[in-house]
Amino acid sequence: MKPNIFVKDKVAIVGAGLTLFRRRLLETPRELAWEAAREALNSAGLTLKDIDCIVVGSAPDAFDGIHMKGEYLADGSGGFNKPLVRVFVGGGTGVMVPAVAWWHVASGLCKTVLAVGEEKMSHAYPHPQGVFAYIWDPILERPLGPNLIWIFALEMRRYMHVCKASKEDIALVSVKNKRNALDHPAAQAAANITVDDVLKSEVLVWPVQLLDISPVSDGAAALVLASESVARRVTDTPVWVEGIGVTTDNTHWFNRDLAYPRYLEYAARMAYKMAGIERPWKEIDVAEPYDPFDYKELHHIEGLMLARRCEAPKLLREGYFDRSGELPTSPSGGLLGVGNPIAAAGVMKVAELFWQLRYEAGARQVKKPVHKAVANAWGDLMQVGTVVVLST
Amino acid sequence: MKPERTPGRYIREEDLRRLPGVIEYKPVARYSYSAGQALSEFLRGLKEGRILGKLCPSCRRVLVPPRVYCEFCFIHTTEWVEVPGTGVVETAVVSYIGTARERLEKPEIIGVIRLDAPGYREGSFDFAGLFHRLCGVTEDDVKSGRVIGMRVRPRWRPPEERRGSMLDIECFEPVQP
Amino acid sequence: MSLWKKSRVVDVIHVEGRMETEKYVYTPGLAGVKVAEALIEGKIMGVRCGGELYIPAKTYCPDHSEGELVEVRGPWVIKSYTIVYEDMYGEKLDKPVVVALLGIEGARGGLIHYVDVDPDKVRIGLKVEPVFKPREERRGLITDIMFFKPVEHS
Ligand SMILES: [Zn+2]
Repeated sequence: MKPNIFVKDKVAIVGAGLTLFRRRLLETPRELAWEAAREALNSAGLTLKDIDCIVVGSAPDAFDGIHMKGEYLADGSGGFNKPLVRVFVGGGTGVMVPAVAWWHVASGLCKTVLAVGEEKMSHAYPHPQGVFAYIWDPILERPLGPNLIWIFALEMRRYMHVCKASKEDIALVSVKNKRNALDHPAAQAAANITVDDVLKSEVLVWPVQLLDISPVSDGAAALVLASESVARRVTDTPVWVEGIGVTTDNTHWFNRDLAYPRYLEYAARMAYKMAGIERPWKEIDVAEPYDPFDYKELHHIEGLMLARRCEAPKLLREGYFDRSGELPTSPSGGLLGVGNPIAAAGVMKVAELFWQLRYEAGARQVKKPVHKAVANAWGDLMQVGTVVVLST
Repeated sequence: MKPERTPGRYIREEDLRRLPGVIEYKPVARYSYSAGQALSEFLRGLKEGRILGKLCPSCRRVLVPPRVYCEFCFIHTTEWVEVPGTGVVETAVVSYIGTARERLEKPEIIGVIRLDAPGYREGSFDFAGLFHRLCGVTEDDVKSGRVIGMRVRPRWRPPEERRGSMLDIECFEPVQP
Repeated sequence: MSLWKKSRVVDVIHVEGRMETEKYVYTPGLAGVKVAEALIEGKIMGVRCGGELYIPAKTYCPDHSEGELVEVRGPWVIKSYTIVYEDMYGEKLDKPVVVALLGIEGARGGLIHYVDVDPDKVRIGLKVEPVFKPREERRGLITDIMFFKPVEHS
């Protein structure tokens, strides 16, 4: 299968870096961006002088509490006297960042791109869920006094109903990811927990309970992307970005069936087509589906077509998605385990696949040999799907 | 094992208070949100106890909530169509927390209602619908799944209390057979 | 073809709303903690990057390397200024306020601050010095400096 777009330069990831993920770091948002960017550059053996263009991703300005976060983060991300673009598609931002970085290189505009995702959610008091209130429609939704978790709970409930999935089935994702995160040095919410712990945790918006959700986090993550010629010069083990996909579904989220992530299937089809992947469930070796909530990993496994619709819970029970399983998912520990500084979290997932494909993940390395990988993120009012397919 | 270094200095809430140079700030921005053409008419309809949708002349969907365009056909919608307001519960949840994550004294039940409206196939992925409170159903109805697929209709506030707002509908309640 | 030509123009309803949160609490950051401590001591910090000195202090340099925080001493000079006659709501101030970009010889960048000077006397190149709050009132914030004032000729 041929790529469906004109690509001037093949694109590789050649470096990745992270800060700690925690609820409250001393660093300012731009210092976090700087720390992650430096780690990524160092890991690639490059300096800022080697970078042509900058892509910065950050979710709503209201989280950090600074308007024009792209400009604010620019110098920490290495972006002065260089082209810089800020990317923002809500939770989908983290995977949109490498996708946009890919555009920059694939188009031939830049040979090297430093791509940074940052979020500082600890600034807002009493809880960042309060500032989430302003993403709702002021006419149709805000009068009801909604909490953001409502929509996710509504989606989870619909998924449970259509797929006959139980709370226990879904809690297993949280158990797996928090356990995987025990081996991640940046992790904020790593733990050995049981399904019972999840079911006994605080009920927020039934069916969503405290341990079904990723934590509030500060953090940053960065990648270095390069054209083929640069990549081959700086590393023997480039990880190729083979496909990217982006789709926005209907913003009228209560006018569509929430049981299935159509936004993701369309984005995934775009990315797989570009990557020449026809049977993702067979060809993908390891995946980082976006997991801000436990049910979302199952939802996204199905949207990425790594399992048939409603089949993910059964496969999860059988250990299919464990690190030692046939198709490991969220070997990093995901957002549930490592943490969820929104834009940084998606970048962290792509960084994890970069390390997995280079066999550098140490204790987190999946058992099977790996060659092709996929990550996704999801955001805005539940309608944005972003996908990146990587290979060695 | 990568990453080899993960910089970042973790600070606990109590230590934050001891740091010099911490800035506290309370932002308040006031807005006057325009409901726009379609939703203004929709809100006026609510005040009269009617749920209005807009018809797409091409695909014949009646869009609720109404918009001036049909996003499927990307053309102007034309006629106003009143829908009966009845429908089925698509999904529902029980909220124990409020907007800023404070615990609620009394949990609320919230749902998405798939409205009876022309132009959609039975069980279609896209539908005319609203997001609102549910009443006359129990927490157990939500948890057991009994509520999903239940036929509901709006419970209107008395006309003198209506303000041209989503809250002119108090909630959606089961249609008694 | 514009929208209003094809749609019936109706009276548009407006809904009042606000965006607020209880508060934001901003951490000072790595350099920020040291800058704050220095302000409490009545000192202003810059950052040395190779041969260059930059104001205000930051953790990192333009080339992304880590900088060295150093105290910067005056004399400060006005590099540019503006005279403010209205507050942020457009109300006339009782007395115009001079806001200036202040720098020092040999350093890049500068600080923005108030200058306590007659608007008729302000000029680029005027030498000024910081006036701090009493020590016990300092919080490590830029407002620990109340304003700058012209250096007295002696
Ligand atoms: Zn249409």
